[in-house]
Amino acid sequence: MTRVTRRKILKGAAAAAAGVALPVRAYAAGEAVKVGILTPLTGAGGADGPRMLKAMQAVFDEVNKAGGVDGRMFQTVVEDDQTNPEAAVRAARKLIEVDKVPIIMGTWASSVTTAVLPVCWESKTFMMTVSGADSISLLPHQGYLVRTQPTSKLQSIAHASYIASTGKMKIGVIGIQAPFAQSTKEHLDATIKAAGGSVVSHVIYEKDKSTYRSEIDQVMKANPDNLYLNGYAPDTVVVLRDLYKAGIELPKFCQSYAVPQSTLDANPPEVSEGVVTGSPSADVDSTAYKLAADRLGMREIDAYVAQATDWASLAVLTFAKSKEATGSAFKDNVRKVSQGDGVKVYSAIEGLKAISEGKEINYEGASGPCDFNEIGDIAKCRFRFTQVRNGKLEFLKIV
Amino acid sequence: MEILQLIVNGIMSGTILAVPAIGLTVIFAVLRFTNFALASHMTIGAYAGLIANATFGLPVIPSLIVAFVGAGLVGWLSDEFVLKPLRASGFITTAIGSIALTIGLENIVRFIFGNQMRGYDLPIRRDWRFSGLHISPQQVESLVIAIVVMGLLFVFLSMTRTGKAMRAVADNPMLAAIKGINADRIAGIVSFVGMGLAGVGGMLIGLDTTIDPLVGFKTVLSIFAAAVVGGFGSIPGAVVGALVIGIGEELSLLVLSPAYRTAVGFIAILLVLTLRPRGLLGARAY
Repeated sequence: MTRVTRRKILKGAAAAAAGVALPVRAYAAGEAVKVGILTPLTGAGGADGPRMLKAMQAVFDEVNKAGGVDGRMFQTVVEDDQTNPEAAVRAARKLIEVDKVPIIMGTWASSVTTAVLPVCWESKTFMMTVSGADSISLLPHQGYLVRTQPTSKLQSIAHASYIASTGKMKIGVIGIQAPFAQSTKEHLDATIKAAGGSVVSHVIYEKDKSTYRSEIDQVMKANPDNLYLNGYAPDTVVVLRDLYKAGIELPKFCQSYAVPQSTLDANPPEVSEGVVTGSPSADVDSTAYKLAADRLGMREIDAYVAQATDWASLAVLTFAKSKEATGSAFKDNVRKVSQGDGVKVYSAIEGLKAISEGKEINYEGASGPCDFNEIGDIAKCRFRFTQVRNGKLEFLKIV
Repeated sequence: MEILQLIVNGIMSGTILAVPAIGLTVIFAVLRFTNFALASHMTIGAYAGLIANATFGLPVIPSLIVAFVGAGLVGWLSDEFVLKPLRASGFITTAIGSIALTIGLENIVRFIFGNQMRGYDLPIRRDWRFSGLHISPQQVESLVIAIVVMGLLFVFLSMTRTGKAMRAVADNPMLAAIKGINADRIAGIVSFVGMGLAGVGGMLIGLDTTIDPLVGFKTVLSIFAAAVVGGFGSIPGAVVGALVIGIGEELSLLVLSPAYRTAVGFIAILLVLTLRPRGLLGARAY
């Protein structure tokens, strides 16, 4: 009769543990790296989200076709954030808790990112976003955030500088209730004051209203000589109609995301005529920009598509650098591929080749240099201005 | 002058809210549950009107009839096949079922038409200006249309056999059944008329702005508030409630930031439920 000793039990347990662990390790080597894409396919951001999604998937497809990273492919798990913080948090929890993604990219509205970011840092999930509110990167995110979008401050300064260059000095600001509303007004005011003007009125309105006539009356009380419309597309289309009906012919400035072609198409051309839009510019002269446009089969791409291209490329390169698909590894290693003295690379494929050759790299993106400061913001950005003429956006300049 | 302008704006928006609010209250009066699917039927009506106007080139009035019939038919079908089987489980189950229904219908609209905003094929006219006030011709037209629709509904309810039967069921379902009124048939007609009115309301809102699949959802809280304030189940109450909410939301701008406009609806609901739970005009169906 065989005696069952404590030593035998321990040996058996160790063997069993090794037997279980080895297949896991073998499986992990070929396991796909899951990437959570949480972007607005519906709601106010529904005009931009699908394009960003396509750009991210194009990068991952290209990398997967080239064999992935050490045989590991990238698998995207897509959720619609509905441009709605509550829906976005639910979707983020699903991505993190069910799909076990280590990284989430693609949020658009600042209110959505503000809601999702705590869920990410609490679960050590890395996040990349296009949201611009100053307050986002000031949250205690512990490094689990980088964003390629310039802050509201950078954008407001650029926009106010443009307005000052037109000679208009009395800005009336009318915009949606959003995390960027107050800081945008303050930076507009500070910049235009330096040029001798000021923000003479500021009205924050609620989203989803069928008319903003009374809000327009309020902002016009201070007799501004130009208007800054700080909303999203669904409300801006209503504000533009109400301004036209009220016969207010002042120069109007909008964020470009508030005036996509769908906004212009929803109104007769005369309603939006002359509106100037400002947006962060893609780095149109860069190699990465040309590669991104070619990858998507387009002649030119906008700033959101460029930024989405950069998130996907940075995710691939950071994983290649760290060889670890965890949020902490993305957090600790993203700056090792996005900036520094390494050889400059302009696409994920090019960066993977350099990393495999043992080189340090510095990814220069389609949206810009992608150099992040300690709170995850980019330091500088070019800006693109367009103007509506006959229902179409026409290029003015890049500064 | 500012107060006068705000009151004018409030009357305009309140009158348009009144049309779907009547739809909501008529359904509640007869079927005794809050049909939250009103939101998606407003959207369906707005899109039915859009097809009539932008695709087939029909003028506003025929397009509004298409909006009424389109939303009414969907309302009747969805009641017959989705909500009617739930009614035996109680009004809470049916109301929750109507929330699920509205999300489903809204997504069908989204699937068919996409997310982008759309506008009716109508010229945008400048406001009329007089005595320091300005008023949109489109809003005045919508106001007149809303008043005519309410008038037609009043005639239907007070002078036709079917309308009287609806009021009878609303007042006393058991007595109506004893008198031989077919409650199932009345339920179908009420769903058709109530959701048809919601469709007209959706299109009236779209005429002055633009529409997207959330056009109904965006305004349903104000409509709900109007029905509660006026007295759930009372048609004149829905009109009074809509005007109170419309004017209240506008006048609140004198003391509140526009960012808190929706709070007016909630505060009105709270005040009415606390001080006069039956609503301003009680709960009679006519």
